[in-house]
Amino acid sequence: MIPRFLLALGLAVLMVVTGVTSYVYLGSRQSRVAVKVQKPPEATPKPQAFSLPGTLYLAQGGALYSFSAGRFHQLTPEDGWMQPAIFPDGSALVAVKRSGFFSDVYTLTRFGQVTGQLTNNQAAPRDRWDTGANAWSFYPRLSPDQRTLWMSYDGPKYAGDGYFDVDMSVWAVPVGGSIRQGRLWTTTNNYTGGDIQPLPLVGGGIIYTKYSYDENNNRVGQLWFTNRAGSYGRALTSTAAGCSQPSLSPDGGSIAMICNYGKQVSYLTIAPWNGSSLGGLQTVISDQMVAQPAWAPDGSGIAYLAPGVSAGPFQLWFLPKNAYNPPPPPPVPTPTPTPGGPHNSPFPSPTPSPIPPPPVVKPIQVTTNQGFDATSPLAWIG
Amino acid sequence: MPFGTRHRARASRRRLSPFRSLVLAALAIALSAVSGGLAYFIPAAVAAYNATAQVVPVPSPSPEEILFSPSPSPSPVSPGAFTVLLLGSDDDSKFSADHVLTQSMILVRVTPATKQVVMISIPRDLYVPLSVGGTSKISAAYAYGGAGAAIATVQQNFRVHIDEYIWVGLLGLIHVIDTIGGIDVVTTNPVFDDYYPLDVYGGDPYGYQRVAVLAGPQHMDGRHAMEYVRSRHSDYQSDFGRSKRQQQVLTAIRQKAKQLGPGDVPSLAAAIGGEVKTSIGIDRVAQMLPLAASFDNPDSIQQFVLASPYTRGGAPGGSLYPNWGLILPLVHQYFP
Repeated sequence: MIPRFLLALGLAVLMVVTGVTSYVYLGSRQSRVAVKVQKPPEATPKPQAFSLPGTLYLAQGGALYSFSAGRFHQLTPEDGWMQPAIFPDGSALVAVKRSGFFSDVYTLTRFGQVTGQLTNNQAAPRDRWDTGANAWSFYPRLSPDQRTLWMSYDGPKYAGDGYFDVDMSVWAVPVGGSIRQGRLWTTTNNYTGGDIQPLPLVGGGIIYTKYSYDENNNRVGQLWFTNRAGSYGRALTSTAAGCSQPSLSPDGGSIAMICNYGKQVSYLTIAPWNGSSLGGLQTVISDQMVAQPAWAPDGSGIAYLAPGVSAGPFQLWFLPKNAYNPPPPPPVPTPTPTPGGPHNSPFPSPTPSPIPPPPVVKPIQVTTNQGFDATSPLAWIG
Repeated sequence: MPFGTRHRARASRRRLSPFRSLVLAALAIALSAVSGGLAYFIPAAVAAYNATAQVVPVPSPSPEEILFSPSPSPSPVSPGAFTVLLLGSDDDSKFSADHVLTQSMILVRVTPATKQVVMISIPRDLYVPLSVGGTSKISAAYAYGGAGAAIATVQQNFRVHIDEYIWVGLLGLIHVIDTIGGIDVVTTNPVFDDYYPLDVYGGDPYGYQRVAVLAGPQHMDGRHAMEYVRSRHSDYQSDFGRSKRQQQVLTAIRQKAKQLGPGDVPSLAAAIGGEVKTSIGIDRVAQMLPLAASFDNPDSIQQFVLASPYTRGGAPGGSLYPNWGLILPLVHQYFP
């Protein structure tokens, strides 16, 4: 027999605990679709962290990070930083700092200290409704001799109020000079977004992404090549392939890119490059939304960004070289006469042993809960 | 009765047998578990109740309109198929509440049997007779007469039957996308706009800001998704280009929504607040959620934008003349 007072007290406690538990349980049944991403350094060190060769630079939430020896390091505060690129001699970085109305290119040490400002795109508004005097600079790269800054730039703004078309062109500006000393290299198609992602080549000229309208009035990206400022250049890929984000392999013999074939997909694609023309496109990954492919400096594979789970934030992935360039199969052994065997009889035909299929090499997911900026190219140095 | 016996009897009445105690405990557990569940879901239920099953009077077309309207041969009606009119409004402070223009109107036909979806974006500048009287841009129908007028205007002009409607305000879309953790979109090209409205985040309905949505695959939060679907100044196709982007984002939301579970309902309900209204009842919403998840093939979603030759410019106030000779056969092919 239980005293009523004790029973009532016990039931009250039980009800409170059960009610709270059921509430908390239901709350825990929420899907993880809106889980906040971690800052990269919070995710390391992990015992099983995958280590990539050299140092990789990437952006998340307006900050630049480096990734080397399996650890992330935050280089800049979360203040609009994006699109890092490495000086060709590996001594420093250029990167974009984006504000609400403009963006500028800066030089930084490899540890994130700002050492200089290469563009000055801020402009005071001419009236309350004016925004057009500011400009954007994106996708900075330095020429192989480090004397020229290549970038996509939407200025200068000649028109005033009511001029709506904003397109980027590829510009080459002397490092340390002003935009007035720069040269306009490409002629954009109006109302397309323009020409972006210049990739300066050692032999001169650039590969870049040009946007245009296809026959169905859809805007599509194409890789283009030009070797002279102001020349029309020529397309390297078709409008049907919808390719962009070119990345040159360390040996200069291949280009990685993404292609969408007019759909909401993004395939990792590679093609041979001989310095002036592109070979056939080879789709390497077709089941992920791939962004910003970057070749490993030692040629061991390609890093890229893609969602870790369906429709989730972008994570860092690595595709080993064997996945897109498998080693040749081992040679079939030729029969040799057995010592002491019947010399006059024909060689025994060996039982053909089936050649084992090459192992399927899959991409390796390097991070799981980051949210890298997929509009920001990766920079990788050995 | 001696004192000791009375005391034992009183003490006995204050005690319960173990069996009765167990029954009481079981009842208490059940009751409190249900209470905890109610506490979790009631806010969502209230929000859902307020947002769903909106009854709107839809004026019927006059008998003459029905009698003399050419009726293209419709496709056979598939069982369970239904048509939804999606309405999206700027919902900014330039207009009084519930008298906003619909910047986006999309007719959606869902055929569960074949798992096909057809979307036709109606240009907001289409110059048509409004159900409330007069002729104007079709975006004005909602401002003059609410969802009922918008539905009736579309029904009368496009000669379709609309089963349901969903209206989404600007902030509603932003909040929904943020609540589901963002969406993945492959932006087809860089989208730049030097005259993007400063209303939502700048607090100035007549001011402008600059927007740069870079090209390629990316994960977008609500704010950036809104910039992507709302910007139109740097688009040769203006509203038509924007319509394509709206359909793209809707598809991305559907893709993400497939991962949601019942536990997400309260946060979603809190997110939409008063920014979503629909005629669809809460029971039907529950039926549709698994249906949405079953549409796996992206090729089963057909998208149309009524650009030239379906429409042409030159109508009053910068609006567009419809080419009904082309529009109606297209509509009736997919919206029987």
